[in-house]
Amino acid sequence: MTTVRPPANQHRTSVRKPDDFERFWADLMAEANALPLDPAMTPVPLRSNDQVETFEIHYTSLDGLRIAGWYCRPRESALAPPYPALIVVPGYISEPTLPKQWAKAGYAAVGVAPRGKLRSNSRFDPGYPGLLIENIIDKNTYGYRGFYIDAARAVDFVRSRPEIDHSRIGVQGGSQGGALTLTTAALRRDVITCGAAGAPYLTGYMDAAALTRSYPYEEMNEYLRRYPEREEQMRATLDYYDCLNFAPMISCPMLISIGLGDDVCPPETAFDLLEVLGGPVDYNAWPRCAHDAGAFWEGASISGFLARHLHPIPVPST
Amino acid sequence: MTRPADFDAYWEAIDAELAAIDPAPALTETPLRSTERSTSYDLKLTSIGPYRIFAFLSVPNGEGPFPALLHSPRYGSVNNPPHWDDRQRYVVLTVMHRGQRLADTPFAADYPGLLTLGIESPDTWIYRGILADIMRGAEFLLSHPSVDPARVAIAGDDLGLIAAARRPGFATVNLTAPFLYRILEARLRTDAYPIEELNDYLAMYPDAADAVANTLSYFDPVAHAPSFQGTAILSEQDPGALNGPEWLEPLRSALGGPVIPYRLSHEGGTDHDALDAVLAKQLRVSPLPRLWPAAMKTIR
Repeated sequence: MTTVRPPANQHRTSVRKPDDFERFWADLMAEANALPLDPAMTPVPLRSNDQVETFEIHYTSLDGLRIAGWYCRPRESALAPPYPALIVVPGYISEPTLPKQWAKAGYAAVGVAPRGKLRSNSRFDPGYPGLLIENIIDKNTYGYRGFYIDAARAVDFVRSRPEIDHSRIGVQGGSQGGALTLTTAALRRDVITCGAAGAPYLTGYMDAAALTRSYPYEEMNEYLRRYPEREEQMRATLDYYDCLNFAPMISCPMLISIGLGDDVCPPETAFDLLEVLGGPVDYNAWPRCAHDAGAFWEGASISGFLARHLHPIPVPST
Repeated sequence: MTRPADFDAYWEAIDAELAAIDPAPALTETPLRSTERSTSYDLKLTSIGPYRIFAFLSVPNGEGPFPALLHSPRYGSVNNPPHWDDRQRYVVLTVMHRGQRLADTPFAADYPGLLTLGIESPDTWIYRGILADIMRGAEFLLSHPSVDPARVAIAGDDLGLIAAARRPGFATVNLTAPFLYRILEARLRTDAYPIEELNDYLAMYPDAADAVANTLSYFDPVAHAPSFQGTAILSEQDPGALNGPEWLEPLRSALGGPVIPYRLSHEGGTDHDALDAVLAKQLRVSPLPRLWPAAMKTIR
C-alpha cells in the first residue's frame, strides 16, 4: 500500500530530542578534551608541489584512539601565512580527501579520517556496510559516538597550528561529510566560522530509512527486517545522534545543498534541517538532482560561500 | 597510445594464470540482506597470486534464468552491496578486487597510492592483478546456473570494458565513466584525485615517464575495445570537456559493436533513471526509477 509522496518541503520530522541531549555530548566532549591532543605531522613529499605542502597527521581522540588525516597548506614561499582553515570531512564510503585543491585556493585544509576509515582503523573497524548499524541499539557504544568526536577534534588540530588564523575556521563535506559538518559546527560552535553541508546524511535517520532502499540507510532497513522488535531501541539511540538535534546548537552561517531527487539522503530530511538550524542559512535545492545535490553547479556556490566567510588568498601559480 | 608488440601474449599469460588456479568459490548466504524477493550471498574466489577476493552476490528468488549484472569495482576501498532495485531484476555480482575492504588480507590498498603501485612495469602494476580479479568474477557470473547467458551486462569504468573484452559473453557494457582511457592526457587537464596520483608520481619520478606509458599501453581501453562485440552504453560529458564526445571519439570508433551514447545532464536523478532505462531495455527488464514517487509504508 502506498501513499502519494508529498513535496519534500512539507515533511514533518519524527525525530525527538532527548532531554539530556546537550549533557550527553558535553560529557563526551569533556572526556575528549581531557586527553592530550598530541598532534603529529609527517611530510609527504610525493603529494607536495611548488604551491602546496602535504603532511600526514595524527591526533588523539576519544578513548585514546589515534586519528589520521591529511593536512595540506600553502607553501610559505608561495604564500605567506596566516591562512584560514578548512576542515574537510568524508562521506560514508569515500576515502578521506587529500585537500590539495583547497590548499591551492588558499586554505590550510585538513582531510579527516575518523575512526574506522583507512589509517584510523587499527582499533575500531566495523566496516562498510556496518558502521551505520554498529551497536545501533545502545547510545553509549553506537558506532558514531567516537566518529563525531574525531571530526570535532580536527578543530583542535587546526587550532594547534601557528600558521592558521584561528578566527577563520570552516568545515565542509557532502553526505556523511555533510552530517559531520553539522555535528562539528555544533560541537565546536565557539570557534567555527561557517559550514557547507551537502546532501546531509544522519539527519532524520528513521524517516530517511523509511523513504529509501539505497545504501547506506538500507543497512537500517535490513536490520529492522531481521530485528523488528528493536525499532524503538534503535530510535532511542539515534535521537542522540541525529543532526536535527545538533542543528539548533549551530550559530555560524551554513550553506545546505539539496538534491530534490536524492534517493540516498531523502530531501525531506534536509528541509527538516532548514527548519531547526540555529544560525543564518543559505540553501540551494536542485530539481532532478540526486545525491550529487547539484554538484555540477553547486561547487561554485560552495567555494564562493566559503570564500565570503573565510577570505582565502589563492596561492599564485609558479 | 601504441599497442605493444606483446599485447596479446601479456593478456594470454594472465588468462593462463587464472586457468591454472582453482577459483574455489565459497558462498555464504547473508540473511540480513536476503528478502522474499532475492537471496544474498558473500562470495570468495581465488584469483592470480594466488589471492582470495570477495564479492557480493544476489540472486532473484523464483524461476530463472535471470539477466545478470556485474558491477566492476570503483576506485576506493569500499563498494556498496547491490542495490535493492537491481537485486529484484538481475543476478548481481559486485567484485571487491585485491586491496579493497573484504579483500584486504594480506594486501590493503592505500588511497591515494593504488593507482601508481608498481606502475613502472606491466608485470608489477597492481592493475594486472585487479583485472584478473574482475575477470575471475566475470567467469563466475557467466557460468552461474541462474544466469540467462544472452542477457549479461557489466557496469562501471573502463576496467569493466577491458574485462568484457577479455571474457566473451557480455551483451552490454554500461561505461559510466572512463578511468584509464587517455589517462596520460587527462592528467594534464585535472588536479583531482585519483588521476592526480599520476601527476604526483611523475613529478617525483620524471625519468619513469616512458615506463609508465609502456605499462598503461597494455591497459589502453582503445586497444581492448575491438574485442568487445556487444553493445556499449557510453556516457558523455559536455562537448569540449574531459570525457566529452570528441574526447571519447577514439574509443567509440574502436568499439567492436553498437554504441549507445548518452549525454549526461549533470542532474543525478535524471541521469540515473535514463541510464537505468537504457540498460533495462538491453536486458529486457522493466526500468526502475530510483526516487520513489510515493512514501513506502511497506518498506520493511
